[in-house]
Amino acid sequence: MLPVTPSAKSQSYVLYAAAAFGAGCLLTAMLKCNADLAHSASALFASFAAHGIGLVAATLILLALRQRPWRAGSANAGAATAKIPLWAYFGGFSGAATVMATSIAANSALGLAGTLALGLAGQLVFSLAADMWGLMGLKARKLSLYDLAALALIGVGSLTIILEAGAGT
Amino acid sequence: MMASAILLALIGGLCVSLSRQLNGRLSLSTTPMVSSFWNHLVGFLALCTIGAIVGGLIPPSAFSAPPYAYLGGAMGVIFVAAGNWLIVRIGAVATAVFTIAGQMISGVATDFVHTAGRIGWPSLLGATLILAGVALSQLRPRT
Repeated sequence: MLPVTPSAKSQSYVLYAAAAFGAGCLLTAMLKCNADLAHSASALFASFAAHGIGLVAATLILLALRQRPWRAGSANAGAATAKIPLWAYFGGFSGAATVMATSIAANSALGLAGTLALGLAGQLVFSLAADMWGLMGLKARKLSLYDLAALALIGVGSLTIILEAGAGT
Repeated sequence: MMASAILLALIGGLCVSLSRQLNGRLSLSTTPMVSSFWNHLVGFLALCTIGAIVGGLIPPSAFSAPPYAYLGGAMGVIFVAAGNWLIVRIGAVATAVFTIAGQMISGVATDFVHTAGRIGWPSLLGATLILAGVALSQLRPRT
């Protein structure tokens, strides 16, 4: 259907996995910044400011890279560039909705730890469905038993950490 | 009350993956940075609209936050672009799982430094399980 980068060879897979791991480390720093902002002001202001500053930063980076937001890039030239579905631009709505849903949930009896644990479950369930059926025009992928075992270990390990944090406070 | 909180927390997680999937689709036709730009523009406009309806977007205490707290937005741009770059290459599950692993391990490492090594055994057990999972995923035979 859509031209997708050919499946990664094992060597580049290690690089991609390391990059995703690094993005997760960046997420820890980002959440700390946003939480401090939310603590001083409000969750809504923190998200508003983060998106506003992010917008300025993204504009500067695009200018530096000489990429135009309204013109398709050359990375995947072909059928995929011809018409971009309108809904592909709606990732930001989903991001804004995340902020509201999680900040309400974290202020309930669930607390932050419970919200994180359930959020983890929500992420994994959606990702499994997305890979299984190739949702939103991305490539469908078959998962091996190795993938599922790794997913289970990482999921249980994350839950252990989150629930300990919840019990501690 | 509790049921709706549980539902909201699950939806929150679902929205994280949904937004990564949507941004990934856009980056397939553009570039990871262009897609990150649109993510922040659309999110910013949505939050402005919500602020206009609900009110109290900029509380009086807004500018008492420490300056570094404002760096979160810039980190988000890189984070979203990285997700866009990765999801079309290794898929939704691998992107989500390795990102979660990085988040958890760096969180435990931060606590370890802040408490001078006095962290509970469940954190160490959790971190070990995560690292074992990351190692296991690398053993997967690939074609």
